[in-house]
Amino acid sequence: MADIELRQVEKRFGEQYAVRPLDLCIKNGEFVALLGPSGCGKTTTLRMIAGLETVSGGRIILNGQDVTWLKPSQRDVAMVFQFFALYPHLTAWENIAFPLQAEGERRENIQRRVKEVAELLQIEPLLKSRPGALSSGDQQRIALARALVRRPSCFLMDEPLGALDADFRETMRSEIKRLHILQNATTVYVTHDQIEAMAMADRIVVMSQGVVQQVGTPAEVYHTPSNLFVAQFIGSPGMNLVKGHWADGVATLPGGNRYTPPPDWPEALNRGLSSSGVIVGFRPEAVHIHPNGQLAATVYSVDLHGAYTMLVLEMGDDHSIHARVSRDAHFTVGETMRFDLNPSMVRFFDPKNERAVPITNRN
Amino acid sequence: MQLTRTQTARVHSRRSLTDVQIQVLFIAPTIILLVLWNIFPLFYSLYLSFTEFSVIKPDVPPAWIGLQNYNKLLSDPRIWQYFTLTGRYVVTTVALQAIVGFGLALFLRERFKGSGLITTLILIPIMMSPVVIGLFWKLIYNPAFGIFNYLIGYSVPNSGPDWLGEGSRALWAIIIVDVWMWSPFVMLLCLSGLKAIPDYLYEAAAIDRASPWFQFWRITLPQVAPLLLIAILFRTIEAFKTFDLVMGLTGGGPGDATELIAVHLYRAAFTRFTTGESSALAYIILVIVIAVSNLYVRSLNRIRGENH
Amino acid sequence: MAVSTTSAPITYATRVDKVGARYQFTRALRIAVVVLYATISLIPVFWMVTAAFKSRPDVVAIPPKVFFTPTIEGFISLLTKRVLLPPGMMEEYKQRTDLNFAERIMAERGQRITGPSQYGQRLLNSVIVASASTVLSVLLGVLAAYAFSRFNVPGKGDLLFFILSTRMLPPVVVTIPIFLMYQQLRLYDTHLGLILLYTVFNLSFAVWLLKGFIDEIPREYEEAALVDGYSRLQAFRKVVLPQAITGIAATFVFCLIFAWNEYAFALMLTSERARTAPPSIPTVLGTGGIEWSAIAAGTLGFLVPVIIVTFALRDYLLRGVTFGALRK
Repeated sequence: MADIELRQVEKRFGEQYAVRPLDLCIKNGEFVALLGPSGCGKTTTLRMIAGLETVSGGRIILNGQDVTWLKPSQRDVAMVFQFFALYPHLTAWENIAFPLQAEGERRENIQRRVKEVAELLQIEPLLKSRPGALSSGDQQRIALARALVRRPSCFLMDEPLGALDADFRETMRSEIKRLHILQNATTVYVTHDQIEAMAMADRIVVMSQGVVQQVGTPAEVYHTPSNLFVAQFIGSPGMNLVKGHWADGVATLPGGNRYTPPPDWPEALNRGLSSSGVIVGFRPEAVHIHPNGQLAATVYSVDLHGAYTMLVLEMGDDHSIHARVSRDAHFTVGETMRFDLNPSMVRFFDPKNERAVPITNRN
Repeated sequence: MQLTRTQTARVHSRRSLTDVQIQVLFIAPTIILLVLWNIFPLFYSLYLSFTEFSVIKPDVPPAWIGLQNYNKLLSDPRIWQYFTLTGRYVVTTVALQAIVGFGLALFLRERFKGSGLITTLILIPIMMSPVVIGLFWKLIYNPAFGIFNYLIGYSVPNSGPDWLGEGSRALWAIIIVDVWMWSPFVMLLCLSGLKAIPDYLYEAAAIDRASPWFQFWRITLPQVAPLLLIAILFRTIEAFKTFDLVMGLTGGGPGDATELIAVHLYRAAFTRFTTGESSALAYIILVIVIAVSNLYVRSLNRIRGENH
Repeated sequence: MAVSTTSAPITYATRVDKVGARYQFTRALRIAVVVLYATISLIPVFWMVTAAFKSRPDVVAIPPKVFFTPTIEGFISLLTKRVLLPPGMMEEYKQRTDLNFAERIMAERGQRITGPSQYGQRLLNSVIVASASTVLSVLLGVLAAYAFSRFNVPGKGDLLFFILSTRMLPPVVVTIPIFLMYQQLRLYDTHLGLILLYTVFNLSFAVWLLKGFIDEIPREYEEAALVDGYSRLQAFRKVVLPQAITGIAATFVFCLIFAWNEYAFALMLTSERARTAPPSIPTVLGTGGIEWSAIAAGTLGFLVPVIIVTFALRDYLLRGVTFGALRK
């Protein structure tokens, strides 16, 4: 089992940065998700850890050992690829046995270990088939088995569920999570799907344009996003972001709305904001309908989701926000309603540098 | 939309053929030509192989003699000798081409500056006419003033071996030229096979700690096997038919040292004009080629089956 | 091939195991080997090209001459008939003022040009036969390939197998009956006979290769054209043909190389009028011994068109090989 440490790791292609200098410490047994839109450098980072890609600068420390310039085979990592990368001419059994055979493991040991891992993943009936004859979900199980069979100190997964059908994804998601708990191996998991990252990871590294935006637990990145990118990227829909002015302890918002934050906030906000501009961010579930609420908006559309109802509200002319309300509440399009915000789910951002304003002693 | 439909219908009825007419029109010429030039001759020559006939005596009609031609050919030790010679030639030359061609493909698969040009330059011999190549190599092999001996170290004229003049060497001389000419063909097919192997297989193998050697045997070779086998099949059939090259180089000589079966057939059919007997020999060759092709196709299907 | 379900383009610049000193060394070694092979394998070609411009003594000089005074006497020998000048008349002949450029060069070798050789005519025959048969086989091939690709032709599988199997026939088997047939039909030693024969010989290959390419073209384009009021034939001409151009070019090159270089059929089925260049190059005999520079000149002139066409279309060619091979 292993710690992974990246020190100022970067990747350039000529002048172009794929990954800006990045520091990251992954603890033994931790499940870390690299999350971001495509082209954000998350896959490149993973491939640098795997040794499939050279670094342009910085060091990679695996389990206390500097592996920056070691070949993939010398790093004791296993990887699951987005499109499985199974050997098409080999049977499932041969695919799983491949890493053991490559190491020259003894035949009985190979038999035993392939059997063990096949039982673990419940794929014994598939072992004689070739990848081409299997469903994508089964192919991914084989790929997982191939990674597991060697008992490496860490697992690298590059969008392993990306090529699966939607209904398979959930099953495989819990399966990977279960395996992680059983094996307790350090896992780095690349995905562009924030739901996946939230559901599985101990910590999430949010990346965009080669830069780490925030590192934190799922709850942290969800509730206290450190900048506008993270606020918008995490959650579906993302955080509501409403532009306004900050003056005299009150945020003036579109549609004539005025929002007064809890009493201990203005001091921090006065210090943190670089100008009078402000962006107020709040999650859809922060909306709390109340006849005497501070804020007002017009109902634009009502989407029934079964467990809850999602409202699209218009604050002023072109500021639409999402509000998640109880399924029992009834609204009609065009009606004006009043609401309050749950202060623990409100963030203020500085529009100049797009960063969140830290509120130290929030409740 | 409605308007467009009616327009379409009108255009169709006025000046276009039905799909069935198009099918017949498009396919019939090909099928007719192939039947006339391949199937008819095939049966005609089967008939001739059971007769005594010579094209230079067109007044004497073919006389049915049953299996006599076949009996005569199959009990003729010289025919067996030519077949053995051809077999040796085919196996040697195809094996060498497979090794050289596959080796070159392995070396050329990773691009480098100028690799495209090198590939095309290596392909040049394929584009040349075999008979002309044969003729030209005759000059190159010449013991008095050819450059072959000079380049392999015999700088004094006539001091090196006479490649085409000595029976045992002459076959090797032909093999060398054939390998020179056709290894690039094997290379070309192998190269397209190698390039079709996705990179991620090698990445997976690198992660799985496979050594380069292990990767070669477990990934590269099985993945490229179908195309390599196709190349070998084509070359085997072609080598069996080798005629032009021998005619240019040795004409079958010295004596009959390089009289491959196709050369022998040519001599029988067009210099001795034993038409009936030649037809029988042609049929024997056909059966062998079909048998060999079948063998390859079977192993090809087996490999492909494994790949799916 | 076996690339299963999905394959994503993975663009990576560098692999850690591909930057080490050892990797760089083996890479340099690999490049050295292929460059060496290319060099060695081009020596005969180089030799032939230079020989075409060498004088007779230079061709047979040992050690081989890499630097020499170029001359076109090889080309002149190839294209003319000549007689040896008797020694007494040599000086007188050289003094004549009405000699043209070629005659002057040959006079230096003690030869007098008596007229053009047959080689020009045979090269022309080659051009006629190769181009006509290539065009014909590509044309018929693309029609049949389209029909097989787009329609449910009855007995399609069998017909396609039949077409392919004709390629497996060794030509020697059909030569004798075709020889007889041609004599009956008066096609022996005619351009038409040779053109048709080469067409048939290339046809099976052309159909298979082109079908592979046309299969790759989505039907939706044609269907859209049909809905827009095109007839089948128009759609075929204006939509399918332009998109199949890669396949057509590749097929064209393969058919051309075969027809241009073919020797055996031409040797057996022609004698005078329709004889093409390949069977005649070996018979270019000079006045006393083999005229190697003439043969080299003939070979070079014969090779250049193919090389030009191949280089011009080499990208198509590489794709064509892959397609053809993968589809069988």
